[in-house]
Amino acid sequence: MGKYRRPVQIVILLAVLIVGGYAIGTSLFAAKEDGIPKVGGTPPDFTLVDLQGNTHQLSDYKGKAVVINFWGTFCPPCVKEMPEFERQFAKWKDEGLEILAINLSEDTLTVNNFVRRFELNYPILRDVNKKTERSYGLRSYPTTFFVKPDGKIMEIKVGGMTEQDIDERVIELLKY
Amino acid sequence: MLSLHNTKCECGHQNAVGTVLCESCGKPLMENAESDTPLEMRYDGVARRSQKSNPSIIDRVWNFFSSVKIAVYLIVLTLVSATLGTIYPQEDSFLNNFEPSTYYKEQYGIPGQIYYKLGLSHTYESWWFITLLVMIGTSLVICSLDRVLPLYRALSKQQVRKHLRFINRQKTVYASQIDGSAEEWVQSFGNQLKRKRYRIYSDGTALLAEKNRFSRWGPYINHIGLILFLLAILARGIPGWQMDKYVTIPDGDIVHIDDTNYYVKNEKFTVTYYSDDELPEELKGKARAKLYETKAVLYTCESQCGDTSAKPELREVERHNIAVNSPLQYKGLKLYQFDYDVTPKLKGVKPVLINKATGETYGPFDLPMKDAPLEYDLGVYHLKLVANYMEFAVGDDGEPVTLSREPNAPAFIFLITGPGLPEKGQPYMYFPMQKDKEKFGQDQLNASIADKLEIKVQGMENVDFSEASTYLNVRMDKALPYVWIGATISMIGLLMGSYWQHRRIWLRIDNGQLSLGAHTNKNWYGMRADVAAALRQQGITVDPKSLDNGGNNA
Repeated sequence: MGKYRRPVQIVILLAVLIVGGYAIGTSLFAAKEDGIPKVGGTPPDFTLVDLQGNTHQLSDYKGKAVVINFWGTFCPPCVKEMPEFERQFAKWKDEGLEILAINLSEDTLTVNNFVRRFELNYPILRDVNKKTERSYGLRSYPTTFFVKPDGKIMEIKVGGMTEQDIDERVIELLKY
Repeated sequence: MLSLHNTKCECGHQNAVGTVLCESCGKPLMENAESDTPLEMRYDGVARRSQKSNPSIIDRVWNFFSSVKIAVYLIVLTLVSATLGTIYPQEDSFLNNFEPSTYYKEQYGIPGQIYYKLGLSHTYESWWFITLLVMIGTSLVICSLDRVLPLYRALSKQQVRKHLRFINRQKTVYASQIDGSAEEWVQSFGNQLKRKRYRIYSDGTALLAEKNRFSRWGPYINHIGLILFLLAILARGIPGWQMDKYVTIPDGDIVHIDDTNYYVKNEKFTVTYYSDDELPEELKGKARAKLYETKAVLYTCESQCGDTSAKPELREVERHNIAVNSPLQYKGLKLYQFDYDVTPKLKGVKPVLINKATGETYGPFDLPMKDAPLEYDLGVYHLKLVANYMEFAVGDDGEPVTLSREPNAPAFIFLITGPGLPEKGQPYMYFPMQKDKEKFGQDQLNASIADKLEIKVQGMENVDFSEASTYLNVRMDKALPYVWIGATISMIGLLMGSYWQHRRIWLRIDNGQLSLGAHTNKNWYGMRADVAAALRQQGITVDPKSLDNGGNNA
């Protein structure tokens, strides 16, 4: 046994390093990520269909300043925000601003009627069975994610915003 | 092995650094070698593998984990921190819609906030707790290895003739003069011990009798079990090995289980209550559930999975009536009945259109609450769905709004064209629920058209609602079989070490002088009884107690 002592020690310590490192690493990683997006983190990717039937994937928007807004017709502050986003979109789209408004799994007629009433021109995406909403860990509506061109979240705003609030954030977002 | 110490015994055997008792003859080698107190027999006095004269970095790390003292500190530290985790509920004991950053402060005040800030609200998943577990595991492996190998070596090549000082300093000793042939006496004494299932090794005038050596391996088998147990616990961190989540499924719906390829359908949820004569007096008149059961079907997704624009293709894989303690099981996935909600939810209606003047009815037509078709042809009439509201209300600006996305108070606005109606159609507001019809005044809202036409449901058979929603707990734990295997091995080791004792008797006769020493790792009472019984057979009567040479655990 004597001459194998050193290799055995090294093998055991290496195994400890690998197994232990993996276990500790995943617990560290899990604590930071938690699956739910945080400021400075990456928003979960999604592939959703808009009202015209076009597919939008979040990863396609990499390199652009993106505002992801979750809204529903049943939520009065969301309803109030939508025309504000429309004006902001008109103001900043030439600077490269993208707005993705994700509807909270309502039905087609409801969404269509709403969009027609407010004449919205930015993409309205349709979540299905609350899937995307859950992956974003939403707890109340509206919730808006400001995503920088490098794909990292600049700010998560829970609750309604005034047009002034949106404007300030978009100006900051476009600085990156 | 280069060493400054002279570790050679007088019998000629070269011992390793740290040896307490000569590996060959058993002569005490340490400082108190001349004392008469009973010997420290742990690990048979052999050196731990890691005891070296000039340790390197690897040796130092190895020695750290090889120390039982460190192991005890680690275990105490883990116990204390595991206790801290039980002060307030852990984060993972809460279901949906739980915000830990505010919960602990609101519920428990400043201590709660500190608790959360320290990360104790998820003690068992924290990196430092896992680190402690990994360190205990390492210590288990290294401590065991460092002791079991030398011990194995020492026990497998034992010398029969031990040093007199070794024999006389055992905790159970006997000495006297023997008449007659020493060889015959040893032979006959050996036979007595054989009947007590001792193994006898003899070289004429010296003897070694040994039994139940396997019990010495008990602690190490126990450790192997514990290591397996720990590894299984750590393996839960591997993606897909452990899952514990909850799904809510209304009657008849299919729901996707997040992060898996599984879909589950609730075909029908039933709850039956105890009747009054089955209940004790104090519970009569109260609804006590006797059985909740979900007729569940499990599907796997074949294609178009995770695609929001298309319907996934499902294949049925398992079907089970889930009740409490009777989960649906499929390839390690378990669905348990967890809770239920018996609030009925309207799913759809089949109303008819009635011409009030002639009494003619058209329909019925299907009107689901969600994603209803936009056009309906009913005889001479044509209905176009122009708006719908899941929970109808009138907003501050007088516009109709919906208060939620669940069909709690649904309302539909149709544009009806047909005989006697304006060419561009006339709007008709329809509330499927009678209470809403009255509350919002359907007839007043519809004004003139209300005199001509009416949309209504005829009979409950035309109403489709889910009576209940079932809440299922979805669990998967691939590590569990390994936890059980580990626990079983550990228990086997524990029993081996606790219910059997390793007993040894050494004796030698020098010029008619009998010297006998005996050692066991526990149950000295039994050890002394064995020796006294064998001596009695040889015609020497001694009180077992008189064999005791002092020392602890005697």
